[in-house]
Amino acid sequence: MEKIIQAMLFTGILLLSGCSENNSLSDQNKVIKLWVAPNVTQEAFWKIAIDKWNKSGLGLPVSFTTIPATGGAEEAILTALVSGNAPDISTNIFSGFAAQLANLGQLQELSSMNGYSQIIEHRKMASIMKDWGLNGKQYILPLYSNPVLIWWRSDILKDLGFEQVPQTYDEVYALSKKRAALGNKFGLQVTAGKEWRDRWFDYISFYYAEGNGLPYIKDREAQYDNDASLAVLTFIKTMFENRWTALDFDSDDPLTTGLVAGAVHGPWDISYYQKMFPEILKKIAIGPMIKSTKNRPQNKSKTSTFADSKGLVLFKSSQVKAEAFAFINWVFMNDELSILWLDKTGMPPARGDLTTNKMFNDFYSTHPLGKAYASYVDVAVPPAFIEETIDVQKVMNVEMIGPVKFGIKNVKEAAKDAVIRTNKLLGWAK
Amino acid sequence: MIKPLQMNEAKIGAAIAIGFLLFNAIFWLYPFVWLAIMAVSEWRFFDAPVFSGLTNLNYVLQDPEFWNSFWNVVRFMAYFIPIVLISSLAFAFGLQHLGRGKVFVALCFLLAYISSGVAYSLVFTKVFSETGPINLFLLDWLGYTIPWLSSPTMAMFSVSLVITWKFVGYFGLIFYSGLNAIPKEIYDAAKLDNCSAFTTLFKVTLPMINAQLIMVLIFAITVAFSIFTEPYMMTGGGPMESTNMPQLVMYETAFKRLQPGRAALMAIILAGVSYLVVRVVRKLFERDLEIV
Repeated sequence: MEKIIQAMLFTGILLLSGCSENNSLSDQNKVIKLWVAPNVTQEAFWKIAIDKWNKSGLGLPVSFTTIPATGGAEEAILTALVSGNAPDISTNIFSGFAAQLANLGQLQELSSMNGYSQIIEHRKMASIMKDWGLNGKQYILPLYSNPVLIWWRSDILKDLGFEQVPQTYDEVYALSKKRAALGNKFGLQVTAGKEWRDRWFDYISFYYAEGNGLPYIKDREAQYDNDASLAVLTFIKTMFENRWTALDFDSDDPLTTGLVAGAVHGPWDISYYQKMFPEILKKIAIGPMIKSTKNRPQNKSKTSTFADSKGLVLFKSSQVKAEAFAFINWVFMNDELSILWLDKTGMPPARGDLTTNKMFNDFYSTHPLGKAYASYVDVAVPPAFIEETIDVQKVMNVEMIGPVKFGIKNVKEAAKDAVIRTNKLLGWAK
Repeated sequence: MIKPLQMNEAKIGAAIAIGFLLFNAIFWLYPFVWLAIMAVSEWRFFDAPVFSGLTNLNYVLQDPEFWNSFWNVVRFMAYFIPIVLISSLAFAFGLQHLGRGKVFVALCFLLAYISSGVAYSLVFTKVFSETGPINLFLLDWLGYTIPWLSSPTMAMFSVSLVITWKFVGYFGLIFYSGLNAIPKEIYDAAKLDNCSAFTTLFKVTLPMINAQLIMVLIFAITVAFSIFTEPYMMTGGGPMESTNMPQLVMYETAFKRLQPGRAALMAIILAGVSYLVVRVVRKLFERDLEIV
């Protein structure tokens, strides 16, 4: 009997010891651990970049792996941080998550690291970084900045007698009216989807266009019950009221099937369409985000839009912070890598000199669709840098977009309710 | 005085039970104690939990999203329970009258129960889309579409249809076992009394499978309080929070808002409410059945 109990205890101890970390091994073989986005094109970039770094002998070797695919990148990173298995650096961090991690004391302040200011100067990122600060400190370096623009099927526009891509609400209405007459065909995909993050690609993009980049939250106070917001909501209401757009497009990509003539897309879709729908891609004409009028303020030559931007962070738990930042510095200061990033991912690197630096001109001369995106980087505005990004965008959906879409509230009431609930949320969370 | 033989038996008993006790201590008692501690603590995963008294309770009581999710449970039950009870009973009756291939048919229905929730949710999202195959068919033949998942009034109904599809085989087999256990003589007696089919169903069959009915009803209630995958994948809790279930709110509170303390308290409240509902249902509908 005692033997059975001893055997059970022994097995238990073995099992428990298997769960513990082998620290001695990691101390002997120091490497910089990097997590990258689980995305083929980004993996291809990091593979080449890291090979170069490791061969150069400039610092500690880097080993990279994609962020383990669980519910999402955020869950995987949180789990790793809580269990003490976090990497030293992670890419694919959106601003709201960076704000959460910084407030929780998990991120190394990058602006205090040696060489940070050289990076900002070299990549002309000063104006970009002003939207990424938290209490005057920088915890994240944006890797790319994707303006979102509208892809139009030029063949459909031509068939309906449109020589130019629509740029105003009235032009979209005219197009949609003609499409509706064909039966179960729509003008524009107005709402991007049901997730909180989809608000970046519909309401917030339209709002930035209409308000010329006006923030929707400033100093932790919601601002979006203004004229720009009401114009956007009226547009959304008109499109749904007249059934000029569908309530959802979950079945297939509606642009490829010709169900819609236009939809909001980012530059990441260029390589995807090249691979999956090369014939459709040839028919795509890229246009700016739509707004009520073509007029712009004197200092803006282009219509503002939303910047889908993600960055890289260095975790406070890293035992090799200086060495890891040396690697980050090397990546960001290396212009060849900026070109390689563009080539592999098609996404504009977060740099302020994309349209002025000659080396990018050469690349864009052979990539016209990519060039269209690069030309909007300077008017592409990232989301509000707040910890409550998810909640705020859910409120937009529940109090504003949904009720307007279904005609439950008028636009003024919807915007007012959303702003009140957002401010309550931001005040409460302080 | 304890005899040596009894001592040995006691030791063997303890050795056999220790696995079960350890399992429960690790996977039930420990999380339960930790849950209770978290419910009264301010903790954001990385720091040490700090006792915060009733702060979490104050927050949860004022959280409209959480209480709206309870209303959604009621709405879900209003659709799901009648649909799943009727469908499962129909399946069980059908199976009873089937001559050959009973096992095959039963297995086909059970396949839905063991299928991956994520996989079939993705399939149903496409099937129910406003531009999906069902709506294209409706548009061609009847000239209109149904916003299965995109309307706040329809979405919960559609989700409950999918969950019914999942459970109909499982619940149906429970009913089937109950139907088979009813003595044939009772039906013969009903025939002699000239009972109609309707009377036989309501006065004989359903009362005789009361145990199975209550079992399925309780399972259905626990499903209503615990569904996550289908609304998460198919609607994301929308449109306009109309399919936002308590499990979704808890998940987002813990892992998106990084407030595990509040989520723990929500879990305790949810467990308490679902327990009360089950008790009330048993009290109202459970009958002691004795065949004399």
